[in-house]
Amino acid sequence: MRGYFDTLKVIVQIALRNLFASRLKTLIVGGIILFGSMLVVVGTAFVDSVDASMSRSVIGSVAGHIQVYSAKSKDELTVMGGMTMEAPDLTPMDDFAALRRTLLGVPNVKAVVPMGLSAASVIAGNTVDVVLERLRALARRKMAGEDVQAAYDSEKDHVRQIITVLAAEMDNIRKIQAEKVIAQDELGAVAKAVSPEFWAGFDRDPYPALEFLENRIAPLASDADMLFLRYLGTDTDAFAKSFDRMKIVDGKPIPRGERGFLFSKWVYEQQVKLKTALRLDRIRDGINKRSQTIARSEELQRFIKQNTTEVKEIMLQLDGQKTANFRRLLQGELASQEGDVAKLLAEFFRVNDGNFARRYRFFYEQLAPMLELYRVRVGDTLTIKSFTRSGYVQSAKLRVYGTFVFEGLEDSHIAGELNLMDLVSFRELYGSLTPEREREVQEIKAVAGIKEVSREQAEAELFGKPDGAEAAPARAGAVDEAEVALRSLAGRQQRAAHASQAYDSAQLEQGDVLNAAVIVKDPRAIGQTIKDIEAAGAKAGIPLRAITWQKASGLVGQFVTMIRAVLYISVLIIFAVALVIINNALVMATLERMPEIGTLRAVGAQRRFLLGMLLVEALAVGLLFGSLGALLGAGIVGVIHAVGIPAANDILYFLFSGPRLHPSLSPANVIMSLGIVLVVSAISSIYPGLLAMRVSPRQAMQSDD
Amino acid sequence: MNYIVSVNNVSKNYNLGQVVVPALRGVSLDVAAGEFLAIAGPSGSGKTTLLNLIGCVDTPSAGTVTVDGKQTGQLSERDLTRLRLHTIGFIFQSFNLVSVLSVLQNVELPLLLQRTLNARERRERVIALLDRVGIREYSKHRPSELSGGQRQRVAIARALVTRPKLVLADEPTANLDSVTGTNILNLMKELNQSEKTTFIFSTHDARVWSYASAVVRLADGQIQDRVSAEEAVRAGALPAGRPA
Repeated sequence: MRGYFDTLKVIVQIALRNLFASRLKTLIVGGIILFGSMLVVVGTAFVDSVDASMSRSVIGSVAGHIQVYSAKSKDELTVMGGMTMEAPDLTPMDDFAALRRTLLGVPNVKAVVPMGLSAASVIAGNTVDVVLERLRALARRKMAGEDVQAAYDSEKDHVRQIITVLAAEMDNIRKIQAEKVIAQDELGAVAKAVSPEFWAGFDRDPYPALEFLENRIAPLASDADMLFLRYLGTDTDAFAKSFDRMKIVDGKPIPRGERGFLFSKWVYEQQVKLKTALRLDRIRDGINKRSQTIARSEELQRFIKQNTTEVKEIMLQLDGQKTANFRRLLQGELASQEGDVAKLLAEFFRVNDGNFARRYRFFYEQLAPMLELYRVRVGDTLTIKSFTRSGYVQSAKLRVYGTFVFEGLEDSHIAGELNLMDLVSFRELYGSLTPEREREVQEIKAVAGIKEVSREQAEAELFGKPDGAEAAPARAGAVDEAEVALRSLAGRQQRAAHASQAYDSAQLEQGDVLNAAVIVKDPRAIGQTIKDIEAAGAKAGIPLRAITWQKASGLVGQFVTMIRAVLYISVLIIFAVALVIINNALVMATLERMPEIGTLRAVGAQRRFLLGMLLVEALAVGLLFGSLGALLGAGIVGVIHAVGIPAANDILYFLFSGPRLHPSLSPANVIMSLGIVLVVSAISSIYPGLLAMRVSPRQAMQSDD
Repeated sequence: MNYIVSVNNVSKNYNLGQVVVPALRGVSLDVAAGEFLAIAGPSGSGKTTLLNLIGCVDTPSAGTVTVDGKQTGQLSERDLTRLRLHTIGFIFQSFNLVSVLSVLQNVELPLLLQRTLNARERRERVIALLDRVGIREYSKHRPSELSGGQRQRVAIARALVTRPKLVLADEPTANLDSVTGTNILNLMKELNQSEKTTFIFSTHDARVWSYASAVVRLADGQIQDRVSAEEAVRAGALPAGRPA
């Protein structure tokens, strides 16, 4: 045994000295190995860290460890990061209580959160509408004899101010573009509304005047007031418990058993906030977070341009008193004699790198308190209209209880694009039919003359037989009526009732659900748990499809897999190159040393001695430079860990689970790197080894025979 | 008679492409233990081929070679290697030392391959031998730092370190000047006397024949004659054949 060790020692010695003798070759080969092993260490440490942080993001925000949905569904479920705004087409599972019982029966399942994803457009806070509504209310009170004269006058001023702004805007448009752009009757309506005669008669009989303003003037100002919201209907209590990164920012959580809506803070800022203020925030972020300057960034210059040209948004909010205040404040700040507030605002928003910080502060401290910064405020009621699965429009009035963020993911739109609502309202918007709703629909269908049409007969029914050509338009008319009737039912009658209507836990539990997030006890056993869940579902007669959070997070979840694939392919290429080069170097070394190898064979070295010698040579280079590379890689990871990689955009922010990624090194990274290096070294010594084994001891005999 | 080597009617052909080149044609030769045998002949006469067959680095095309009682044609590659390691020592024309090992390590190498002695025993034997061949003080040197004669002494030490029954030397003095060559032959002869080791060496240099106990003269792959050293020296020239 000791002899064996001594032989090994001499093999190592010969190998090392050979390597030293051909230093240059060794260094080139070593350099490649060093780079490769460094890449493996840094790369795998990075990808592992992204994987870990991203899984924290995904698992901790919406997906949970496992998502469960009906196996009958047409689409695959993705809960975030889908490319379209469309929610996937899932078949509802009609008894959540049964589903939960089934899921909790699986040993590794800790919690189940019911869910449903949908999207709707929401009309929110047309400034003119809101102001007119207030004026109408004040007029009513004034007519009833209450003393609201001051408020009434102020609100009236505001309306006049709005009309002046609209008239001025139309003037501008006419100057810039062809006259035909604005319809004649719109011009006429505005002309009427600015005329002193119109206002002279207003106080005597305000209702017809208000109606005129509501119908003819308000629509002219209602641009861009549509919100498109993606929302997640869930048991908000269970949600908050299972996804503990969720934190309420403004307002409060939806109280248990109440209908309600929570804005994602991200959506609230991006969509609901006054555009001017949002653009100021973006300029600030550009300067503070991304080290941009106004002078050099076209993006920031565009924001400034938009702010200076789109002061209307602010002007519409100003009544007489506020207009005066704005004029005074802006004149003081800008040291200007200008009397036109619109011009003062435009001047104020024309910021540069020197005055931005000061004006930003001035805006938020002095001007913003007089403005509605958000079109929808916490406490407001939001009317959400959604197309149900059967195609008609359903609406719900929901109180906005507050806004929330997922901690650490505040700036990520991937985590921030989903708003929350209670599951009961979600079901209604989605079109789940309660027994009484079903009865109503049946009645309406009877009235409107709708009948069920099979797919095969649909064409004939719609377009009629050749002799019934007029039938189609008539029926279309009937459908319109039905639509109207449905909307009125769903809308007016129930809407009023819903706003305050609470629900009990039975309602929450027993209704249907589109999908459910499952939180597990041991995340390492997700694969087995998925199998268990599907088996349990089959046994309970609920055909289930269970998917991992990676799958449920759609493209986002695949992202790490993609980076990993890219990394592995690069590593493969590098080591393929390394393999060829090491192989070549060893082949050359073998050929050069034929006489020496022959001598060794002649004096009694067996073939495996030579094989061992070459193997040790390759392994020694691999081990030495592989270790150096791994060490260097570990150093680099250490430095990156200390400094952190900044998340330059939304997606990175989400992947990094925060503003910076601090990748950390695990022993697995180093072991993997050295493992690859040693295997590659060993493989690359096979061919030269075979070559050396074929060297005959006769090679030692060099005489001229 | 106890022969350490028996070559019996051996032929050896080499294939050079399509052409078969006969290197040895029906050679028979017996070598007794303790001989100091010279194989003489001009270039191309088959000296090295004959040494290769005796040294078990090659096997005959026809006929038998028996070394230390083992018929080489019947041995596997592995057994041939083992036979070389334990029974035969080699001295080469160009010394063939492992350039990256020291003198001491070069000499120790066959012992390491044998794996029979421990480190101390190996060391003692190597040092004694280096002392014996007169290069003890160079034991730490690399071969490249030594003169030709010194290198050949290292090679001799390496050939003898396993205490082989047979030492084969292929033109051991060809790369040395005449004085050094004479010294080397003197050393080999001394070792032959003191260790009772059989030496077979090839040479085309008539001056070294006088050291041999017998000279076998080869020409064109056949043994011309086997004469005593005196006879060979008297004859004075190489046997007929291609000129040297």
